Amino acid sequence: MRNAFTFAKKELSVYFTTPIAYVMFALVTLIGSFFFLSLVGQYQQTSMFYMRFNNPEVMNRLNFMDMVLMPLTVNMGVIFIFVAPFLTMRLLSEERKQKTMELLLSTPVTSAEIVIGKYIACCVIMLACVVLTLVYPLSLQLSASTSAGIDWPTVIAGDVGLFLLGCAFMAVGLFFSALTESQMVAALATFMTLLISWVLGWRAQEAEGVMKDVVQFLSSTQHIVSFAKGNVDAKDLAYFFSVILFGLFLSHRAVEAQRWS
Amino acid sequence: MANAPVIQVQGLTKRYRDLLAVDHVTFEVQPGEILGFLGPNGAGKSTTMRMLTGCLPATEGVAKIAGFDVFEQPLEVKRRIGYLPENPPVYPDMTVASYLRFVAALKGVSHGKVNDEVERVAHSAAVGHMLGRLIGNISKGYKQRVGLAQALLGDPEVLVLDEPTVGLDPGQIIEVRNLIRSLAGKHTIILSTHILQEVKAVCRKVLILSAGKVVAYDDLEALESKYKTPERIASLEEIFLTLTGEGSAQLQPAANVQHVA
Repeated sequence: MRNAFTFAKKELSVYFTTPIAYVMFALVTLIGSFFFLSLVGQYQQTSMFYMRFNNPEVMNRLNFMDMVLMPLTVNMGVIFIFVAPFLTMRLLSEERKQKTMELLLSTPVTSAEIVIGKYIACCVIMLACVVLTLVYPLSLQLSASTSAGIDWPTVIAGDVGLFLLGCAFMAVGLFFSALTESQMVAALATFMTLLISWVLGWRAQEAEGVMKDVVQFLSSTQHIVSFAKGNVDAKDLAYFFSVILFGLFLSHRAVEAQRWS
Repeated sequence: MANAPVIQVQGLTKRYRDLLAVDHVTFEVQPGEILGFLGPNGAGKSTTMRMLTGCLPATEGVAKIAGFDVFEQPLEVKRRIGYLPENPPVYPDMTVASYLRFVAALKGVSHGKVNDEVERVAHSAAVGHMLGRLIGNISKGYKQRVGLAQALLGDPEVLVLDEPTVGLDPGQIIEVRNLIRSLAGKHTIILSTHILQEVKAVCRKVLILSAGKVVAYDDLEALESKYKTPERIASLEEIFLTLTGEGSAQLQPAANVQHVA
């Protein structure tokens, strides 16, 4: 397992010596801030609206969590669909392209160590992206006149969900990166797969009966909704962990296959 | 030395569908010996080396390093091997020092010794003054030497060097040859090249491959005396061209041949 950490350390140092990590953080916060500001704007408008009609009942029900942070977490999940392919595309395909795979194949490391090491590295970057989104509830907390606005356990639950979603995306991306020499192909295949897993959720609204449940369960971004509401559901955990394990298993098979071809 | 051969290869074969890349190659290398692998481009030198180092599975045959079967106990074999592939397996985004530290960790050099070991091989391969540079920014000759340094990490019993002097200038070629010569005795070395002078300079024993088949496998001196005619002593160039079927009856002067090589 020591080798896996060696790989993780090396990949992380590559993320930070090249602009990848910085560009990723900058873009995630940029788009995140855009969503955040527009959600806060909407919240402000709605509160003004009900304040004018002096409707204390609705006013009491309006809060940051439901109006801003919950939708923001779900939106961040969608943003991850767009950034995930860029984090994972080079992980394994570059080794093949640059012929450094020969080095890995001729040193005493196992395919599992290669896969897990690289996976840890991209999950750490994902974790950093999630931690960055804490800036939004924090800024609300600091600027709110009463501290009642933010329910931190719910925020944390939402971020755990967001992180697990990111990890599931990373596993899909790692698998496609293991399949091809071309980073472009790996990125495109990952992006398309994740995109389909997102838009599948739209279909769920039209479907009926069992079909609706199946489609809803398959859709990736649906699974952070209850996390964002503060409910950690075993069904969602099962979804994320099975995607992660299946992705890692397939990546392992793909790397192992290179030893035998 | 009455020791068992360190490298034992028997009937090693690689077939790509209809193409027979390596055809029942059999040879042995005694401890401390340097074996020169000769042959025109595409003769199967690199393929044989890749099979020996476990980068490529053989279609048929057995290869043993220090008594361990490459296909049955790959990890044991890889702990004892240093391999410089045809293209130096370096990461352009890493510095020479961090790259060497990474490979040292993969090869199981214990944590406390990594820095000393990196220092030692960097000195041997004359890249000591390049440790802080990004590999992407150094010249081809230096990349080649970083590749060589990487193969020396962990002081492996067996070194497999695929064209170690490619891309070096004449001064560096001499340095690297001296280095390889100084490694003999302590290490068992297989060296492939198509520079015939190099074989003469470093190796005692040669194996000539042509179209995947072994056409000569002997001591250099024995080989030269075998082709000695009463009028003149055949040069290695002539022997090489005769054996690989590339030469006409009227052999070209040696100077031209070297140019071709």
